[in-house]
Amino acid sequence: MERISSEFEKELQQLREKLEEAEDVRRAITRGEVDAFVVGPGGSGRVLLLANAYQRYRQLVERMQQGAVTATANGHILFANQRFSEMLGVPLAQLYTAPLESYVTVSDRARLSAFLMVSARDSQIEVELNRRDGSNIPVRLSLASFADGYASLLVTDQRPLQWPSMAVDALDSIRSSLDKLNQSLAGDAPGRDALSAIGEEINGLARMIDEMVDVEGSAERKGSL
Amino acid sequence: MTPATTDGAGEKWNLKLYTAGQSPKSLAALDNLKRVCEQHLAGRYSIEVIDLLKNPRLAKDDQIVAIPTLVRKLPEPLRRMVGDLSDTERALVGMQIKAQK
Repeated sequence: MERISSEFEKELQQLREKLEEAEDVRRAITRGEVDAFVVGPGGSGRVLLLANAYQRYRQLVERMQQGAVTATANGHILFANQRFSEMLGVPLAQLYTAPLESYVTVSDRARLSAFLMVSARDSQIEVELNRRDGSNIPVRLSLASFADGYASLLVTDQRPLQWPSMAVDALDSIRSSLDKLNQSLAGDAPGRDALSAIGEEINGLARMIDEMVDVEGSAERKGSL
Repeated sequence: MTPATTDGAGEKWNLKLYTAGQSPKSLAALDNLKRVCEQHLAGRYSIEVIDLLKNPRLAKDDQIVAIPTLVRKLPEPLRRMVGDLSDTERALVGMQIKAQK
């Protein structure tokens, strides 16, 4: 009788612990303290995220300077970020379900198809995108993930950086204005000294730009400054 | 089985936090856990973060169903706490750092 009582006590304690754990899960869910669940039998479990758990990733993806695209294995776009839309000059809403290959130059389409196939995918390829205005952009497509039959790609603009040449153009313009000012201050020695100092500052800025980026033709621009 | 609180000096605390990448509740749980441990178990704890987005199969080991979940491996007995540990009082009691009133 005592043994039965002992086993009963043990079983009762186990049931209490299980009930406490179940109650803890229920409490955490109702208080909004969880944002993901493990589903599926045994070792084949998968993690399902609640919608708000994606917010951080979504913000990162939306604000990054690279394009992001998720496409089916046969190349239909399921998701694209704003940057990718800007690269193509096509409104985001028009991209959903559109074939990705329709935005790639004809000569690159076969390689894109092969890239999107599981069996033949590489980690990255370089293709040219067709912009809506008719121009092309060389891009690198990098496979970020392949899950559930969908490929998520990062799209990196391969054109030379635009800002260095824009900055140098701006400095050229300032230098030109300073030259005119220098001529009008022919008899004003202190004024010309001040202008000379500004000119040196500009040359310093130009050197900094050249050091920061390896832009084609930087030597020529340096000479012109 | 009602174990006493185990905040004895020198006792090592081995904690596993099951997370789902950078989900807000996962980040909050790690932040809250770190704070509680620093305040109450400084120098006597280790936290292992297990990202189930990277390896969901690991959920089986500790029978994880909701994320985040904290598992206290040591001191024994094993304890599970589901949630982001935002209720400090509850976290302390759940981890048995503090006795239940």
